[in-house]
Amino acid sequence: MGPYLSAARSGARRALANPAELGVRVLFYIVVLVVLVALWGAAAEANGGEVAAYSFIALAWYLMVAEASVIGTKPRLIEQIGTDIGGGMVATEMLKPISVVSWRIASELGEAGARLLCAAVSGAVFITAVAGPPPHWGALGLALPSMLLAVTCIVVAQHLFGAISFWLGDAKSAWYLFQKLVFLTGGMLLPLQIFPPWLETLSWALPFWTMAYAPARLASGHLEPWILAGQLAWLAVLAVAAGIAFAAGERRLQVGGG
Amino acid sequence: MFALTLKTALLEAWTARASFFTQVTFMIVNDLVFVAFWFLFFNRVGEVRGWDAARTLTLLAILATVTGIALGLCANARHLGEIISSNELDAVLPLPVDPLAYLLVRRIDTALLGDLVFGPALFLIFGEPTWERTTIYVLVSLCGAAVLISFLLMLGSLTFFMGGRGEQVELGFQAILILSAYPIDLFTGLTKVIMFTAVPAAFITGVPTRLVDDFSWSQAALLLTVTAASMLGARALFRAGLQRYRSGASWSRA
Amino acid sequence: MLAIETEGLSKSFVTGRGRARLEIDAVHELSLSVAAGERLAFIGPNGAGKSTSIKMLTGILYPSSGSARVLGYVPWDERRALGHHIGTLFGQRSQLWFELSPRQSFALLTAIYRIEKNAAARRIAELAELLEAADLFDQPVRSLSLGQRMRCELAASVLHEPRVLFLDEPTIGLDLIAKQRFRDMVTRLNEHKGTTLFLTSHDVSDIEQVAKRVVVVNHGRMIYDDKVSRMRRSILSTKLIEVRFESPPQALSLQGAHVLKVSGAGYKLVVDTEQRSIREVLDELLDNYRVADISVLDPPLEEVIERIYDVSPTQKDKWAPT
Repeated sequence: MGPYLSAARSGARRALANPAELGVRVLFYIVVLVVLVALWGAAAEANGGEVAAYSFIALAWYLMVAEASVIGTKPRLIEQIGTDIGGGMVATEMLKPISVVSWRIASELGEAGARLLCAAVSGAVFITAVAGPPPHWGALGLALPSMLLAVTCIVVAQHLFGAISFWLGDAKSAWYLFQKLVFLTGGMLLPLQIFPPWLETLSWALPFWTMAYAPARLASGHLEPWILAGQLAWLAVLAVAAGIAFAAGERRLQVGGG
Repeated sequence: MFALTLKTALLEAWTARASFFTQVTFMIVNDLVFVAFWFLFFNRVGEVRGWDAARTLTLLAILATVTGIALGLCANARHLGEIISSNELDAVLPLPVDPLAYLLVRRIDTALLGDLVFGPALFLIFGEPTWERTTIYVLVSLCGAAVLISFLLMLGSLTFFMGGRGEQVELGFQAILILSAYPIDLFTGLTKVIMFTAVPAAFITGVPTRLVDDFSWSQAALLLTVTAASMLGARALFRAGLQRYRSGASWSRA
Repeated sequence: MLAIETEGLSKSFVTGRGRARLEIDAVHELSLSVAAGERLAFIGPNGAGKSTSIKMLTGILYPSSGSARVLGYVPWDERRALGHHIGTLFGQRSQLWFELSPRQSFALLTAIYRIEKNAAARRIAELAELLEAADLFDQPVRSLSLGQRMRCELAASVLHEPRVLFLDEPTIGLDLIAKQRFRDMVTRLNEHKGTTLFLTSHDVSDIEQVAKRVVVVNHGRMIYDDKVSRMRRSILSTKLIEVRFESPPQALSLQGAHVLKVSGAGYKLVVDTEQRSIREVLDELLDNYRVADISVLDPPLEEVIERIYDVSPTQKDKWAPT
């Protein structure tokens, strides 16, 4: 546990090392919130105060948490992973006593987590000022671990996509794809309940809902603890998939003589 | 000269066409996601403050066209900060051309040109393209592009005075992009004021979309005035900054 | 008519803030005249003010004081008009689009300089022959070696038949052979069309092979201005030989060379090439001694400058060596 914890701590320190950059990110996060709250506020207003059984306050908290969970994502990460695989990093990793992949995941988690914390705190202040206090404190309590799980799912999924990007040979596309899938089927742009039934079902079948929708749903006042179970299950699946993809990438390297 | 640059840039992109096509494809996918978003939104929510799917998609069409022009055709607008800080200007100044005009024409981002295809396509499909509406759409898109370019240039010109490597341009760009992508009537109070002044998102999509749907001479005059003012402002700021640059006040390299 | 003339041209920069404020004299009272068709090398160590001077002469920078005229124009005030008549080749900047062929970049330059199409075609053909680059013009720039690329850059910089060509460190990064070729090409251009050459460099060989006249600057001040032939005789006539013997010789005596420094089996020799050619010295060395390794070097620029202070009495009076 030791090395991973220290990895996480160094990641967190990395995130906090550049306060200007962090400040800018958080600022953007707030700007995005301003826009989305305006949008959904107007939407709720036009629909008698609620949309798809979400009240305005519920929507506001939903958005805050959904955006905050995603804000830790680094576009560079997928690209970096793809490059590292190509550079034979995986091969050298296999020789080390502790799994460097896991180490890296821990480090990225630390970093994303730190960012998430800053965003979440600012977001909470903003939303409380603009909309009101959280609709259900118990659910909000669950939302906190859920956010951590969400960020973990994101980081692991990024490793999976990084490995895929190595196969595809193009990291940017992999990133775009990933981002759009999270935006749409992950519930970051809209709560899943707004989708037409077929899309909603599709989104449940994909892992992306764990990354934004899950904690957001809880924060918006819906006490649904089974969400956490779902996140854990998908996390396991993603981790295994990432492991397979990495191994496949490594094998390809050996075959290709890279 | 512009045509020649366009041709040259397209040629250059063609030599790396695989990546060109993937980039364009992903951009279109990106845009389509937003189209999908609005469909889902209005499907569930219905009309909001006078905006419905058709109108919002017209807004998106205008936004895409504007970004296609501002970032695709005049790609250097976004990079002015870097150009200044890396002294690339020195290569342009000895030429017998107007440096600002030349820089704007010099570089074309072919991937973003995809927006110039997507925007009009979107308008033609969802924008109810009558002759009148289409003409207005073209004209307001040009104005919006001019406003966006001027905005980016002004931010870039700040590098003359503040130093740095032009990071402020990217920030301002992201901010204005976010604000321009949503129906303007959603915003109230302070945000709306900002959108009409410091971060002129209102003149990139807000007022243009209004004009397409509901033409009025007063709004048109407003847009034209703001367009002209921002272009003049951008040129003035650039000139002032260039003067400073050439006086060596912002020299930092040995 | 004078191609370039400057009078007391100066440029100082201010860096730092508050207490740490420093005023740096990048160029101090530069006064020189360059006749049309001349080949001038503007030499000095890094930071001597060469690039700053060129920037003022091409209109990029405003001077702090003094005046200058290039082809009758005041560069910083009449930049665009002047631009039609000068060419620039900055060693680390490219005028050519990377993915395309030079010819395609020429098409753009033709538009910028408003060269008439037929005239441009003739000019390109002429340059292709002059610079021996006919087979290069149609290949993408990225596939050319640096030496080949520089030849194309050279073509690009004179496409519009400028009367003055400013070259700022053009041979940087080129290997010895490429440098030689480049210098050769540049000289041909001057001979062919009478283009005035203003070349800055910190490579002493650029002086010897391209320029007829040399101006040396140090710390922003001009410390030498004379014909290269005269400089060659007084200062450039030495070469250094670094030789390592298989075993230290008992006694080393070579005509025309004397020993500067010894460390074990390694000797540093100074050869006065006015007295005896390098070739002869080398022949004698290799014939009579067992040589393990040998290299022939130009004296470093700093040493050249030091010698300038020793040799030219007027300079010595005006400015104390730093």
